[in-house]
Amino acid sequence: MTYKLQLQELEKKFGSKTVLNKLSLDVEEGEFMVVLGPSGMGKSTLLRTVVGIENLDGGKIIVEGEDVTRLPPHKRNIAMVFQNYALYPNMNVYKNIAFPLKMIGESKDVIDKKVNEIASILKIADALHQNVTTLSGGQKQRVALARALVRNPKLFLLDEPLSNLDARVRYDARQELRKLQQELGHTFIYVTHDQTEAQSLADRVAVLHNGTVEQIGPYDDLYEKPETTWVGSFIGEYPMNIIDGSVIGREGSQIGFRPSWVNEGDDGIQLTVQLCQAAESGFFIMSTMDGKSITIRVQKRHKIGSTMKFSLRRYNVYTDNRLVEEFGK
Amino acid sequence: MSVNSSWKSNLPLYIGAIILSIIFFYPLYVLILITFVPAPLNNLSPYPPQIPPGFTFYNIIQAYSALDLTGPVTRSFYVAMMVGGLSLALGIPAAYGLNKIGVRTANKFIIFFFLINMMPGIVVAIPISVEFLKLGLSNMYGVALAQELVVLPLSIFIILGGFRALPRDLENQARVDGANLPTTMYRILIPMNRSAILVAFLLSWMTSWDEFTYAVIISPVKSTFPVQLYNYVTRAVSFEASAFALTFTIPVIIVAVVLQKYLKSQSFTGGLSS
Repeated sequence: MTYKLQLQELEKKFGSKTVLNKLSLDVEEGEFMVVLGPSGMGKSTLLRTVVGIENLDGGKIIVEGEDVTRLPPHKRNIAMVFQNYALYPNMNVYKNIAFPLKMIGESKDVIDKKVNEIASILKIADALHQNVTTLSGGQKQRVALARALVRNPKLFLLDEPLSNLDARVRYDARQELRKLQQELGHTFIYVTHDQTEAQSLADRVAVLHNGTVEQIGPYDDLYEKPETTWVGSFIGEYPMNIIDGSVIGREGSQIGFRPSWVNEGDDGIQLTVQLCQAAESGFFIMSTMDGKSITIRVQKRHKIGSTMKFSLRRYNVYTDNRLVEEFGK
Repeated sequence: MSVNSSWKSNLPLYIGAIILSIIFFYPLYVLILITFVPAPLNNLSPYPPQIPPGFTFYNIIQAYSALDLTGPVTRSFYVAMMVGGLSLALGIPAAYGLNKIGVRTANKFIIFFFLINMMPGIVVAIPISVEFLKLGLSNMYGVALAQELVVLPLSIFIILGGFRALPRDLENQARVDGANLPTTMYRILIPMNRSAILVAFLLSWMTSWDEFTYAVIISPVKSTFPVQLYNYVTRAVSFEASAFALTFTIPVIIVAVVLQKYLKSQSFTGGLSS
């Protein structure tokens, strides 16, 4: 099949620091791809190179089969929503949204029609003649989105567009964004460090680590069978517990398990309760084992300082930090 | 804080401002004295009396009817416009470029630009006038070009400060939205940076308006207003000259009033405070 966007071995350095290290990624038509990674892992840089405002040191960017690596941003027809929305403060909302259409030389009537159309979809029709500096965070985000959507580009890149909103607005905006993307059938590449966003928005999630895609797949896959120990400890509300394999007789490898993959019992692995946290789904016991912190979920409350035992219902085996086997699935 | 206590705590500031104002406005007051006091009364003492002993429009009428005013004023105006315009035509692209190459390198360039202003104007003016004579630039164009030397570094510095204060992503967004560089400049960067640009223009304009050294060396005859004024003073027509000088200050006052509206410290911090 043909891909909407193909990134082939992208390389980018800032001075001696390698930000993108032979990063490859394929995005399908109509897909909502979330690029997830901790801060400072080159997520924004990735988007900036794709859109063309940052030059690459190596690699190719192919959009709809066409190599755009050397094209300037205004010739790529890729829309991007910046984290701070970058609304033009010297223009009102209408002019902000109309700007990309003006640049491609659309007639006044067409501009007027399209701006009003997108404004009503995004529920900012009432604010069209307001000054952008008077808008609320949520409205600014909608204007930025409208400006991206209005000209029908090949791709949409979004750089943490919801991170500047407060929690409630963010939740609503997330739902709407997903709905909008599905209705319009556009291809989105969405960068975030927020796992909840990745979980609720993405068709597929690409986890970025050390300048390259460490694992790609639906969020559930990343959660259940992280291909590396790093992904395991990065994905999930609680990191995957990674302990030495010798505990269950698998010398030379490591085993990883989620807090909920355990059975409490009379025999098995012993630990000392250091913290017991009540949650909706039970109690989270935090402890350390060989200097590594581990968290398990059980149904009974345990006193701090007491010892308890648990066995593994399910676990993954890692050799050299890479997944080799899954048990008890 | 109550109004009263804030007024009291600001008292030294007000006193300072009043003293400074007196120092700055005294020369203007002397100018007004000489212009409006009848000449015979002024000539009684080596210094003009501080309280005007009489009043007359004679000096002004005499100045405007007997001496050529329009010629020098027009020339000064054209030169100032050229200097201001050139400041922007060169300053905006220069500042844009400097903003791209990183703060440290840019600051080195800025220091280099200002070096020319550290030399006395006359030292620079003489070799320039020799060259300009050869190039046929011993006219108003030559004066404007030479004055540009003085104003350009400061203009670049001010406009650069404005560019630094703008969010980088605005320009990026414009590029992404399909604007090429000239369009981005014209539609986004220049309108966004208009106060710094206006300040740079007005400062250049004002500097040119009362610049003397380059003007007199490069084009001593049929020159700008300051040179003409100097000629009148040395020819001992000082009453008419005062009348002229007073006329001459009016545009400066207007420009200063416009300027103070836009002179926010932001234009001079290089955007570092924001």
